[in-house]
Amino acid sequence: MTRAPGTPSNTIDRRGFIKAGALLGGGLLVGTYVRFGADDALAETAPTDFAPNVFVSIAPSGAITIIAPNSEMGQGIKTGLPMIVAEELDAAWTDVKIVQGDWNPAYGRQSSVGSGSTTANYAPLRLAGATARAMLIAAAADTWGVPASECIAQKSFVVHTQSNRRASYGSLATKAATMPAPANAPLKDPKDFTLLGTRVPGVDNDKVVTGAPLFGIDVRLPGMVYATYTKCPVFGGTVESANVDEVKGRPGVRDVFVLSGVSGLTPGVAVVADSTWNALSATKALQVKWNAGPVASQSSTEMAAQAAQLAKANPPAALPENAKVVEAAYHYPFLAHATLEPQNCTAQFKNGVMEMWTPTQMPIAGVQLVAQGLGIPSSNLVVHITRLGGGFGRRGSNEFSIEAAAIAKRLDGVPVKLMWTREHDFAHDNYRSNGWHYFTAAIDNAGKVALLHDAFVKMQGGPGDMGANGFPFIAIPGSKVVSSKLPAGIPTGYWRAPGENGNCWATQSFVDELAHAAGREPRAFTLELLDAIPPAAQRGFDIARMKAVLDLATGKAGWGRARPRGEGQGFAISHTNNAYVAIVADVTVSKAGELAITRLTAAVDCGTVINLSAAEAQVQGAMLDGISAAWFQKVTIEGGAAAQTNFDSYPMLRMRQVRSAVEVHFVKSPLPPTGLGEPGLPPAAPALCNAIFAATGKRIRTLPIKDTDLKWA
Amino acid sequence: MSTYTLRVNGQQHSVDVAPDTPMLWVLRDALGLVGTKYGCGIGQCGACTIHVDGKPRRACRTAVSTVGTAAVVTIEGLSSDAKQPLQQAWVELDVPQCGYCQAGQIMTAAALLKENAHPADADIDNAMNGNLCRCASYVRIRSGIKRAAEIAAASTSSQGGK
Repeated sequence: MTRAPGTPSNTIDRRGFIKAGALLGGGLLVGTYVRFGADDALAETAPTDFAPNVFVSIAPSGAITIIAPNSEMGQGIKTGLPMIVAEELDAAWTDVKIVQGDWNPAYGRQSSVGSGSTTANYAPLRLAGATARAMLIAAAADTWGVPASECIAQKSFVVHTQSNRRASYGSLATKAATMPAPANAPLKDPKDFTLLGTRVPGVDNDKVVTGAPLFGIDVRLPGMVYATYTKCPVFGGTVESANVDEVKGRPGVRDVFVLSGVSGLTPGVAVVADSTWNALSATKALQVKWNAGPVASQSSTEMAAQAAQLAKANPPAALPENAKVVEAAYHYPFLAHATLEPQNCTAQFKNGVMEMWTPTQMPIAGVQLVAQGLGIPSSNLVVHITRLGGGFGRRGSNEFSIEAAAIAKRLDGVPVKLMWTREHDFAHDNYRSNGWHYFTAAIDNAGKVALLHDAFVKMQGGPGDMGANGFPFIAIPGSKVVSSKLPAGIPTGYWRAPGENGNCWATQSFVDELAHAAGREPRAFTLELLDAIPPAAQRGFDIARMKAVLDLATGKAGWGRARPRGEGQGFAISHTNNAYVAIVADVTVSKAGELAITRLTAAVDCGTVINLSAAEAQVQGAMLDGISAAWFQKVTIEGGAAAQTNFDSYPMLRMRQVRSAVEVHFVKSPLPPTGLGEPGLPPAAPALCNAIFAATGKRIRTLPIKDTDLKWA
Repeated sequence: MSTYTLRVNGQQHSVDVAPDTPMLWVLRDALGLVGTKYGCGIGQCGACTIHVDGKPRRACRTAVSTVGTAAVVTIEGLSSDAKQPLQQAWVELDVPQCGYCQAGQIMTAAALLKENAHPADADIDNAMNGNLCRCASYVRIRSGIKRAAEIAAASTSSQGGK
């Protein structure tokens, strides 16, 4: 390891991860320290010093540099995390420069998944900022011979009001590094926040609007070559043979080779050329004989039949007598992530070191794949995290990392950019699992739900399983979810709000269905169910917060007004990643069945709002993403392969469909922040489907919506 | 391989590429102008939108051999100071989420505003419908176009209507 350009001095004794010291050439730095435990693969890269994991440094020039450790994919994390440091530091935001951190175990959790980056980093980053502020104040107080308690920090200055003295952070930084670091630097009361909760534009917006290189696909290195990697369209298939020599003769082609037998790498054929177009053209000439394997017999049609059989094998208990029985089967399909930037990765293997430029949500997953698959110790892996052209969970798995690295290792020394085509991206996703809910409910004479049974089916493996530990199951005594699985084969994975993205649609649609079956007004019905949750079942589910967002959303949306046929309003609620969200959808459906969304209203309790602009954008985007998927999207499996290949067969929400207001209202809260990349998504689709029911009397029980004729008379 | 002399962002460039090479890859690989993005390769997403003689074109469907001496403008050439009204509005309203589609969105919107300085919602729908935003930042894209129209109008009136 390179020795750090700093001298470690004062270790702060708060969970042992804040350290402060001097910058080489003067100035203050505050960083974090991570203890390494059982993971020996990572321990070997443990820093011997703490400068590589500096979170904030202040140079004598006054320049304040804050590291953004997580992957920016549109969720605003590269702006939001530094804002947390700047708030506690009392730095003027205009003085702050943000630097994207490379993969480094010392930064702690760099996996940008599960809406967890903000939640995980909030406390340590506040402490880092507060520690620096306390040391700057101590330096000023010492210089002026006044008590530190009389000094305040303000927009990158320390001020002593009584004597009307002020000193810039830059002028104090070098001395501050020599001051004892406080063990427990005082944190601000959230009501005193001046930066958090305001609207701060993304720090890279200037680069985005001028087309500056930012994304993985934009990486260019001297002497770089371009590669494609073709895998069997049928999942699990392997290469039997390929016309490698013929393709080698195509224009601009540098090399063509089969890769197989590498742990963690799907077998395939690499085509390496001097330009992207020559690589793509040569790949079209590639003829591969595949061993398709057993998954070739799988199809979406067959899966549906199997799911019905599995559900039938798990019937509800005896139904109560004299109760009204409501049965409904809901189905959601496979979904692709379809990040607009296709998967890619650039790698160079030189002198035993694999250096990679990776648009990844989980650098550690790529590191582990490459280290284990190619036998390169993780201390010899350098991973630069680029901006991601969308994540949505797709870039947690890192096939592209090991594919690029395996090609780079073969090309020894030559940098190579691996690029997936859009078609390859659709064909080799880790899809959102399909799912089936076979619901049975009984409503007693008093209009109460006396039984709720859900025979749930999904693919084996991957996220998205469920039990009866969420709403509405916890509100209904004796309710049951029996989960069964279809055979594995089609790879499934994390897709924005895993599990909830489909299950919230099914359960919240069925709750609406039950309200109508019970002859109750849906909002009152849901409020009553929420009140019925026994304390023992609440476990982290705060009924008051849930009701507050439902009140806020329905209040803003003008819930309950009578509407003519063809117009409808629906709502849904969810508790995802600890955030509470209620969404109201207003729609019109013409007699010919044309659906239009006229208004979307969300209310969100995500604790402290970090960046109001990014938070609002995330909720708007998540709602519309949920609606885009529910309205238009499905991946169907035929012969063990995905049938959809590009945006012509996998439509997506477009400008014309977003004519309405999309309002987001936040509950003001001093509680620590939840993440917000995902929580806005789950309730959007059921709110929309419940609105369609209100408008037309048609209940959508199979997604996507476009497959149902909404015509009414 | 053939040699083509192209006029891109006001400068002449000579490139030696296959005649069927889409402008997308000429710009990105041969000229290093990576602001124009690959999204689908079939003209469905609009991420590669450029201007050819002032008209919006999908660079993934525009073979280099068809461009001739036409003036090509990419996102990098839209302004020299990042202060084109759309660029200003995009930053002011914090339009980008992941940002990958935004060069294409801005190039399409720039062509729209050139034709129609004050587009109504229906005009925006028609012009922008071919540009996908996977993050669904459509609400702010629409606001951004309207804001850019205001910025452009204010700048025109402050210059005495020149």
